[in-house]
Amino acid sequence: MWTRKASFTFAGGISLILIGMMISNHQMMILGLSFVAFIVVNSWISGHGDVEVQRTLSADNLYKGDDLYVELLVTNRSSRRTQTLEVYDNVPHEMKLRSGLNQMQMNLGPGESARIRYVLRCPLRGHFSIGPVSLRYRNTFNLSVEEMFVDHHSDMIVFPQLRDVEEAFIRSRTPKMYTGATTLRTPGPGTEFYSLREYVPGDPFKNINWKAFARTGDLMINEKCRDAVTDLYVILDSRDISRIGTVLKNPLEVGTVAAASLANFFLQRRDSVSLIIYDEKLSYLPPDTGDKQHFKILSSLAGVAPKGAMPLQAVTNSLAARFSRGSPIFIISSCEGDGTVPAAIRDLVGRGHEVTVLSPSSIDFERLVSRIPRMSYEVLKLERQNRMTSLAGFGSQVIDWMPDMDLSQALLQVRGY
Amino acid sequence: MDAGYGLESSVIAGERVLGGEIMAGDVSPQEEGNRTLHLRSLRKQWQIITLQIIATVALVWMYMEIVSTYVVGSIDHTILFRMLEEKVGSELPVGDWLTGLDQEGVASYYVPIGVGLSIGGGMSLLAFQPPKRQQKIKLGFVIGLIVILAGRFVMNYLWQLWGEGWTVPDDNALATLEWPLLMILSMVILMLYLLPVIMGTRGIWGLSRKGVAWCIGFVLLFLAIHAILSFPVVKAQLGGYGDKLATLDVLVGAPTVGFFGMNLVTEQQFSLIMIACLIMIFQESAFGVIRQLEYAFRLPESCKRDPEYVKQVDNVLNGHLRHTVIFLTITTLSTMVALGFHSVLLDFVEGVTGSQWASQVSESIELTLTYGLVISALLFLALMAILRFFVPWQRLWGLVESSFSRS
Repeated sequence: MWTRKASFTFAGGISLILIGMMISNHQMMILGLSFVAFIVVNSWISGHGDVEVQRTLSADNLYKGDDLYVELLVTNRSSRRTQTLEVYDNVPHEMKLRSGLNQMQMNLGPGESARIRYVLRCPLRGHFSIGPVSLRYRNTFNLSVEEMFVDHHSDMIVFPQLRDVEEAFIRSRTPKMYTGATTLRTPGPGTEFYSLREYVPGDPFKNINWKAFARTGDLMINEKCRDAVTDLYVILDSRDISRIGTVLKNPLEVGTVAAASLANFFLQRRDSVSLIIYDEKLSYLPPDTGDKQHFKILSSLAGVAPKGAMPLQAVTNSLAARFSRGSPIFIISSCEGDGTVPAAIRDLVGRGHEVTVLSPSSIDFERLVSRIPRMSYEVLKLERQNRMTSLAGFGSQVIDWMPDMDLSQALLQVRGY
Repeated sequence: MDAGYGLESSVIAGERVLGGEIMAGDVSPQEEGNRTLHLRSLRKQWQIITLQIIATVALVWMYMEIVSTYVVGSIDHTILFRMLEEKVGSELPVGDWLTGLDQEGVASYYVPIGVGLSIGGGMSLLAFQPPKRQQKIKLGFVIGLIVILAGRFVMNYLWQLWGEGWTVPDDNALATLEWPLLMILSMVILMLYLLPVIMGTRGIWGLSRKGVAWCIGFVLLFLAIHAILSFPVVKAQLGGYGDKLATLDVLVGAPTVGFFGMNLVTEQQFSLIMIACLIMIFQESAFGVIRQLEYAFRLPESCKRDPEYVKQVDNVLNGHLRHTVIFLTITTLSTMVALGFHSVLLDFVEGVTGSQWASQVSESIELTLTYGLVISALLFLALMAILRFFVPWQRLWGLVESSFSRS
């Protein structure tokens, strides 16, 4: 495509020729012809985007705030020069360039390659994709430009940050809740021997007791004692109201950090953790242990976005049957704009669950972005405190989480209620 | 903190072809080389200096061509200076060696061009000084100018006031203004003539787009004014002054300049082609330097030290140099061929048909100089434009290049 310069040069050339003809001026005609000839000669050569692009990421899963090292190798596989090519690696706008540059102006000879290296900072969690690679051929004299792109994407997940919460729980007044793995005298996945039983198809070979097989002639299986784990349920409020605050500091963002950190803490203790996210619909991740569950939880949390207005009681009613008896439940919610919260908590406590409400103070988050008159703030704050007190009155432990407070610091408040 | 494994994948021409997992941390950070893209070092790079020299040579050459074609002997600065000396009745305070009054023809421009280049160079040098120093130099210049202009007059007038009391300045005091006024007027006239050279040099070496644009603007403006003045109706109104203007009838003649034994254009036409092509060489070289230096300047610090970026800037600059030389030479040659193409066509028609029509047409000045010439020239350029679809220039050049790189 011609640039503005080329259009002006060509139009100017033709105009000069015509004016030159009109007033019989040789210089104008020749000047015009030279301009046109310049355009014509330049049209012979054009650049191309027949290049091979190879992108390498230092990690495809990383935590919020981490740095991602990216290397883009551009190789000219054709037998002609690329000419002046501007290569631009499209980076999600949520990411920030920390060092280097995601673009380069190059002129690759046949078989030549160039590396673009840059570092991205990922300040927001989510599922992201780097790419495509935009190529722009620009004529040496800026007479023509051609836009091309190589449809090459690299997908990655930015997980919420993990905060250290162990210290807080050690000092908690409710150690009973967080016992970690203890053995139960029931068969199941674990480490301690429970009993021998006959082999049934599907049992892993590694569990076969070969000595017993030699002795009895029948395949026998070693059964293990189930490592008793606490089934922990984390309920995260991802309703539209949870977006109050800044992009980086809002109830949902801090909530995802809290959910990820709690899940990490309990999974490390070999507990089973379940994640429930409610926004316009309900998504439920059944309780499980291990790295795989950790990954699933982090992936789910990475993709959480504020939307919808599902009431908490709808969540608890639909999942009540699935909750293990007496298991602890963490509700991470600002408790704003949902009149069903007290009833839902009362029901859960009534069923014997130990309920902890971690409530980011949405009024204080709102203060980060807009000025609230002092009187209004005081009134809203009082209303919130009343709500928190009433929730505590139903037997739950309530944590009022202020924006400037660290998670472990906030969890220490459990003692206060 | 890495939460998993890195992913490597590649795409050829838009299609994903391979992918595989590599360990995290396989991406190495940017390297640092000995050469950097800081302006201080880049300005000394041979490609940049070569482009600047090409632009300067093109500027001076273009100016000389314009001067020799249009100015010398008709609207020469020496004519103006001589008229001024005649009116004033005394020699101008500026030396003849400086104004070129002691020389004849184009030679009278050699020293002034040197002066113009020096002034342009000085202005470029000034542009790279710290702002405070720039301010001081400019202030010094203005004060110097005021002192030269009014210094002697003020001293004289004060002396007169001391002796005679409160009176108007007498003739002696006023006479002291004559020399500085004439000197400044001479310099202004000289600078007016040298404006394209000064602004062009300032643009090339001071990396000023405005400077380059003003230079080209002045040249085009001059050509446009000249074209209007040399238009027969206007020229007739100018009377004796108009007779000296170089016009179309001077340019008619048998072609003597060409290549491969073909005479394509007259010397005057060649001179006009050179002016046109030199304008483009000057413009593209000067803007090319500025564009590349701007690109390098905008790069972050880490990229300026990265050998990959340094190498690619070298590649782009080499490409720019190659294209400047090759494309603009071809442009010049193709303009020449385009201008001579009508005679080739007429010779061809005459040779093939043997008709008298071709020889009659070739004798028609109207057709040879305007319509026929322009139509045949545009026909030739159109053929050249179509040629790109038949001759794979890039592939051919690529093969030559790859064979060079292999050897």
